[in-house]
Amino acid sequence: MKKGWLWIIIFTVLFLFSSCGPDAAGETADGNSQVFDHGGNVTLRILSGSENRELSQILDDFARTQDINIVMDYKGSLDIMRELENGAAGYDAVWPASSLWISVGDTQHLVKHAQSVSITPVVFGIRESLAKDLGFTEREVSVSDILEAVSGGKLEFCMTSATQSNSGCCAYIGFLYALLGNPDVITSEALADPGLAQSMTSLLSGVDRSSGSSDWLKDMFLEGDYDAMVNYECLIISANQELEARGEEPLYVVYPYDGLSIADSPLGYIDNGDSRKEEAFLSLQDYLLSDDVQNQIQKTGRRTGYEGVSQENADVFRSDWGIQPDRLLSPIRMPSSEVLFECLNLYQTQFRKPSLTVYCLDYSGSMSGEGENQLEEAMAQILIQDNAAQNFLQASSGEINILIPFDSNVRETYMASGNGQEIELLYDDVVNEETGGGTNMYKAAETALEVLSQYDLSQYTPAVILLTDGMSNGSFDDFRRAYEEAGMDVPVFSIMFGDADPDQLDDLADFTNARVFDGREDLIGAFRSVKGYN
Amino acid sequence: MKSKITGLVILAAIIAAACIYYFGFASRPQTVTINGYLGGEKTGLLEDEQVQEILEDKYHIHIDYFRAGSLEMVEADLTGRDYLFPSSPVALELYRETVGEPVRTEVIFNTPIVLYTYTPVAQAMEQAGYISDLGGGARGVDLKLLAEDILAGKQWSDIGLDSLYGAMTISTTDPVKSNSGNMFAGLLANVLSPGGVADVENIDQILPKLVDIFEKSGYMESSSSDLFNQFLRTGMGARPIMAGYESQILEFASQNPDDWEILKDEIVVLYPVPTVWAAHPYIALDEAGALGIDALMDEEVQAIAWECHGFRTGILSASADISRFDVDGLQSSVTQAVSMPDYDVMARIIEALS
Repeated sequence: MKKGWLWIIIFTVLFLFSSCGPDAAGETADGNSQVFDHGGNVTLRILSGSENRELSQILDDFARTQDINIVMDYKGSLDIMRELENGAAGYDAVWPASSLWISVGDTQHLVKHAQSVSITPVVFGIRESLAKDLGFTEREVSVSDILEAVSGGKLEFCMTSATQSNSGCCAYIGFLYALLGNPDVITSEALADPGLAQSMTSLLSGVDRSSGSSDWLKDMFLEGDYDAMVNYECLIISANQELEARGEEPLYVVYPYDGLSIADSPLGYIDNGDSRKEEAFLSLQDYLLSDDVQNQIQKTGRRTGYEGVSQENADVFRSDWGIQPDRLLSPIRMPSSEVLFECLNLYQTQFRKPSLTVYCLDYSGSMSGEGENQLEEAMAQILIQDNAAQNFLQASSGEINILIPFDSNVRETYMASGNGQEIELLYDDVVNEETGGGTNMYKAAETALEVLSQYDLSQYTPAVILLTDGMSNGSFDDFRRAYEEAGMDVPVFSIMFGDADPDQLDDLADFTNARVFDGREDLIGAFRSVKGYN
Repeated sequence: MKSKITGLVILAAIIAAACIYYFGFASRPQTVTINGYLGGEKTGLLEDEQVQEILEDKYHIHIDYFRAGSLEMVEADLTGRDYLFPSSPVALELYRETVGEPVRTEVIFNTPIVLYTYTPVAQAMEQAGYISDLGGGARGVDLKLLAEDILAGKQWSDIGLDSLYGAMTISTTDPVKSNSGNMFAGLLANVLSPGGVADVENIDQILPKLVDIFEKSGYMESSSSDLFNQFLRTGMGARPIMAGYESQILEFASQNPDDWEILKDEIVVLYPVPTVWAAHPYIALDEAGALGIDALMDEEVQAIAWECHGFRTGILSASADISRFDVDGLQSSVTQAVSMPDYDVMARIIEALS
């Protein structure tokens, strides 16, 4: 009899579990990962560019109908390249924005079956009325025309970081060609031209806001009040659909004829010798390349197939938005990988608009032990310049880094300017602080605003990066009032750790047009990502 | 009694089945999986189910692979690899130089280096005088003239292609890593040398020109198959002309008939005059790897290699029945092929372009 009860309990538990069913499409707290789990018996973990987030419905349909789960881990193209170089452990496939990053990164010859899923060019999207004023809607536009508008103070734009994301990198290489007088190809000698540093710095001073990923750049653009952005044609189309739905002015797409790049979105298999995964991968690839799904992908504003945009999808690629689906895409040449890395180092250390970053770091009692160790390790990745250089996160000469350690009160404010000894000394301050006390992140963030108000922010890419591990005391309303009074467009990014309250952090991020990074599983990775955003 | 007999019959049947099972499996050799580095242009052949079946049934092997450029693979980590299957004797020579004599080696098939372009580009090239008639519908490109114009910095707009941005160029793979780019570099060295053959005497004069041409290309893919896929996918604007293997278009047309139906009026095959043959040597690194040679030389496999993947095999290399492919402008016998420069010269070229 006793046994009978046991069975009933076991069956009930099993039934409850099975009837709960798997998640449809789950997302991690910071949105850097998406899970499509419908109880399939194989899982493909894909290292992907953020622009593929827009294909989530298509991937979910696949996972549901084919019994194959998909995990999408979204990273910047350069991170994807580096993961590949290091063997991409735990991944089954790679899907960056451009094949360049596979060819450069796949030094271990792991990638097989790579096929382009769709094509989209990197373009400028400029508010329609402004594009008209600038005379960009009636004629072919060169990069120099755009640069002229920037230097004349008529145009500011947002772009992703050239050292973190493919779209920013492509745009930056296009700028280099134009400023070097359109040579056949960029060489090391040309990069040494002293005039280049001056003109590139002045051009990049026109960058309003930066971002570590193309998809988030679009989201940020839609939340803010900006004139233009450099992004993929498909993401400008998607932004325009949203703008139109809101009754707002759309962006006009400008294809700079001497600075165009193409993203070919290759999906490749990472061979770890598991034939079931390989089979699953090939069925995903076949599905994505099937006529029907290619048509669905085209509806998202990506160019697919060999025949160009179909009549059926003509209303997606709208000519009144400046989109030219029949345009012959004649891109610039990417320099050799050695020269490309040289270009990226120059961007990071000299050319980009200097960042002004305030780190508000939680030293409350609960951070003691593992939390403090990880925090120190993460800051070492950013502040110790040899470490930072591995991920193109070095400081530039004009950069300012400020450290505000806090518990229930602000303890101190430390400052380091430039990329010399000062920034490395800041690391000593990080290490010397000891944990103890409560948590009030709002107070720290308010102090950050006070510090920032002493600078001419138009000369910097400012950001507050806030790390906290617990429910905060203090009040969001006080912070909101201070922020509104200061009248600054400064994002307050936060890194969630320990028992931090996601709602508190989301409020801060939403209000300041920033985002939350999840550091609970990988604090160092979260710090690296957030640093890539400014 | 009846049930006893039935029992015995069942027992006998079980014993018989066990014997068949046991002896059947014991006498049948197990499939051996061998692993090595493979040039990207041959992945289609090794992924071909028909080929895999023949290899398994007749030769009891399965050939797994990691993709790598022909020259890259020689310098890669060879631990645990049974074979290398590059696309050129240069890779074989490099192997002999750096590692030693292979366990066994044999040329499996050949394919000539060709240029691929788009119809409007071919028309403009015709107008500009680069193209000649090779007979039977095939067209040749005067490679010397084209190389000189590229060196002179001619723009696409100079030959009437205003919609293409920048200087004329031919997309190739990285000549330091991959064979098709490497052979094209050898071919260019030949046409740019005074007597039409690059040798140790004249190579010093030619190297600066070669460096100039390849430097202008900027970033180059390390796999011929990636380059070809991009050529087709990103369109005429991105890669107006590319150098590759003849087998690539034949394989594409035969494996993707629907896509080819759309593309066939747009894509043009041009044979460089002169051109070179890419001979694909299989290099066995150990005894297991050597099994791959007999398997790939199998008559049926060789037939599939030509019919479905476009590699010219055996005596077909000289004169092939091209009519089976729905591709215009193919050359039945490639008579304008020359020899590649000697290995010493190629080593100098690789060094200069590194």
